[in-house]
Amino acid sequence: MVRLAKYLIIAACAALSVYVLSIGPIDETPAENEVLISVWYPWAGEAGERLREAIGAFNQAGVIEPGTSNRIRVIALYARNDISTNQKLFIAIAGGSPPDVTFVDGPQVAEWAHRRALSDLTEMIRRAGIRQEDYYPPCWRQTVYRGRVYALTFCADPNFGLFWNKDAFRRAGLDPERPPRTIAELDALAERLTVRSGDFYDSIGLVPWGVYGSANSMYTWGWVFGGQFYDDRADRITCDDPHIVRALQWIKSYDRRYDKERIAALQSGFGSGERNPFILGKLAMHPTVISGLREIRRYAPGLQFGIAPLPYPDDEIWGTGEINSSWVGGWCLAIPTGSRHPEAAFEFVRWLCATDEGTEWVVRATGSFPGMRTCRYLRWLASDQGAAEDPARNKLLQILEACKHQRPVIPVQAYYLDQLRRAVDECLYKDVPASRALASARVNTQAALDRARAQARRRSTR
Amino acid sequence: MSFHYSLTEFDGTAKPVFVGVDKYRQLLADELFWLSLRNTAVYTVFAVPLGVLVALALALLLNMKLRGMSLYRAMFFVPSVVPVVAASVLWVWFLNPQYGIFNGLLRLVGVAGPGWLSSPAWTKPALVLMSLWSVGGTMVLYLASLQDVPEQLYEAAEIDGAGPWRKTIHITLPIISPVILFTVIMGLIGGFQYFTQAYVMTGGTGGAADAALFYCLYLFQKAFNFQDMGGASAMAWMLFVVILVITLLTFRVSRQFVHYEGK
Repeated sequence: MVRLAKYLIIAACAALSVYVLSIGPIDETPAENEVLISVWYPWAGEAGERLREAIGAFNQAGVIEPGTSNRIRVIALYARNDISTNQKLFIAIAGGSPPDVTFVDGPQVAEWAHRRALSDLTEMIRRAGIRQEDYYPPCWRQTVYRGRVYALTFCADPNFGLFWNKDAFRRAGLDPERPPRTIAELDALAERLTVRSGDFYDSIGLVPWGVYGSANSMYTWGWVFGGQFYDDRADRITCDDPHIVRALQWIKSYDRRYDKERIAALQSGFGSGERNPFILGKLAMHPTVISGLREIRRYAPGLQFGIAPLPYPDDEIWGTGEINSSWVGGWCLAIPTGSRHPEAAFEFVRWLCATDEGTEWVVRATGSFPGMRTCRYLRWLASDQGAAEDPARNKLLQILEACKHQRPVIPVQAYYLDQLRRAVDECLYKDVPASRALASARVNTQAALDRARAQARRRSTR
Repeated sequence: MSFHYSLTEFDGTAKPVFVGVDKYRQLLADELFWLSLRNTAVYTVFAVPLGVLVALALALLLNMKLRGMSLYRAMFFVPSVVPVVAASVLWVWFLNPQYGIFNGLLRLVGVAGPGWLSSPAWTKPALVLMSLWSVGGTMVLYLASLQDVPEQLYEAAEIDGAGPWRKTIHITLPIISPVILFTVIMGLIGGFQYFTQAYVMTGGTGGAADAALFYCLYLFQKAFNFQDMGGASAMAWMLFVVILVITLLTFRVSRQFVHYEGK
């Protein structure tokens, strides 16, 4: 009796494993003349819903898989782009059953291409007639690794326009139509806009290290001050370039003047949505990402605010920097290595990133701009009509048009981001001099980069 | 398996490449490795003794035969049953400098509360405080062992004129010392493996100026943020050695302090 039970259990396990091992990336079976491809997308909530609508529109469009008569139908799966989900993606790729299309954050493309997680799309792009000139230069640079293209830009966020709260300006007795042009003006305005209440702050003019994290703040102001984070010709990390050091010293100067602990006390009440400090009037000036527009329109439609290019240094103390500085953020679409339907997958990627209808859906889904500068929506937005109907976006488009930078295209970008975050935190909290903090970030990242290059060389010589 | 990986350069998907003790050498030269070890040691040195003391004090108090004692026992035990992640999120709000309970109470007595998690100096004290919230499990262990202390010993001591303090020091503590040793060792092991609370409360970063960059958090970052599986495996093995050494040391030291009734 016990023996029988034992054999039954073994048989059940065997059957279960056969079933489990036969599960491919998609559970559904395709209909007649249909090919199913799966897409992993990184947003939940409303953004996810809107993206699913875009995918629904693609499914309706009835795009045919090249070389066959199959209609392409996309199945979308929510997969947050965080460390553990990315691990799932890599394991799926290593296991041979990855999704056919995945979203990948701009700077991650180089890293994932280095890890051989993404397919080379260069040939398919060339055959589809998509050209480099169709995309904003920094966007295109992000998708290229070692001369081959591994992704197409899905959306391009201009980082950043300086949003300023006109009501706060008026309350402080400042001209609400005059945003700061230079760093010196910015500092002066920040002083006037910071309202103290006893020992604490009621509202602050500007928090330089609060631009979407310490690392993004360092990138933003580093470029504003005229620095370069990576020399791609020499393959060297250059984050301790004197301009960037000066940028970090300027960031630190706000700590000296206003005390980061007191600012942190005020910041701890900040949040998003209704608790967005800019909306609440607690933060008068803030470099804001383009999706901030949606937030403002939704939670504070009556808010009087303006958008201007970031101020730049122009004096003896801070040197000269870059006028109208910005960097591009945003997502890309890529096809993981080992996808079972790469041609069909590419049709979806092409529709979303390189056609007029697809890119209009991108705008609807994300509120951001497509990476394709020649698309119908952007041509409209750049026109007089677009400027009249949507002046805020038009302003941000001008910033994107002038944009020169993207985060360094290197296989250790996550590590670099973390090192920059540490450098800023050490300078702010442990009073480490800016030059030393950035020098150690450079040394550590360079070592990691050299290791990654050595790894790539070893692989290619095998 | 992980020992094998600790001798390789491995990013999780590509084939591992043998590099010998390179990973260990890199770790010893890495300032963040030493920082994370220091953070973990500091946390453990404070959290474990405090935890034992608080749990012991509570157990002794709850051992009295008063009315409603089972209610009090339940009250002190329940927090340790709350899932760790939920508790961490809860404590992020307790420790909020502007709206949190602690600073609110401090404000009532006219003291300006610190930044807690947003202040590097107060991050570890905040986490130690949080660890005291979950002494319920340890407390129950002590309670159980307190039941085992023979009544005759107390009576004999009373006859000899011992007061409550001397009874505790000379009878209660020696009798339950094996249990205390057990909880100290488990506390040390747990302290060196401290991860979940730090991860949830700092969002996976090391907290303000890496004040909450504990050893296991750095290990996790190394493995999954920076894809250095070799380095992470090396860290895991070094942790094993550290915990082993500390446990052996504790056993050696305990011979002087622990009294086994059976022997």
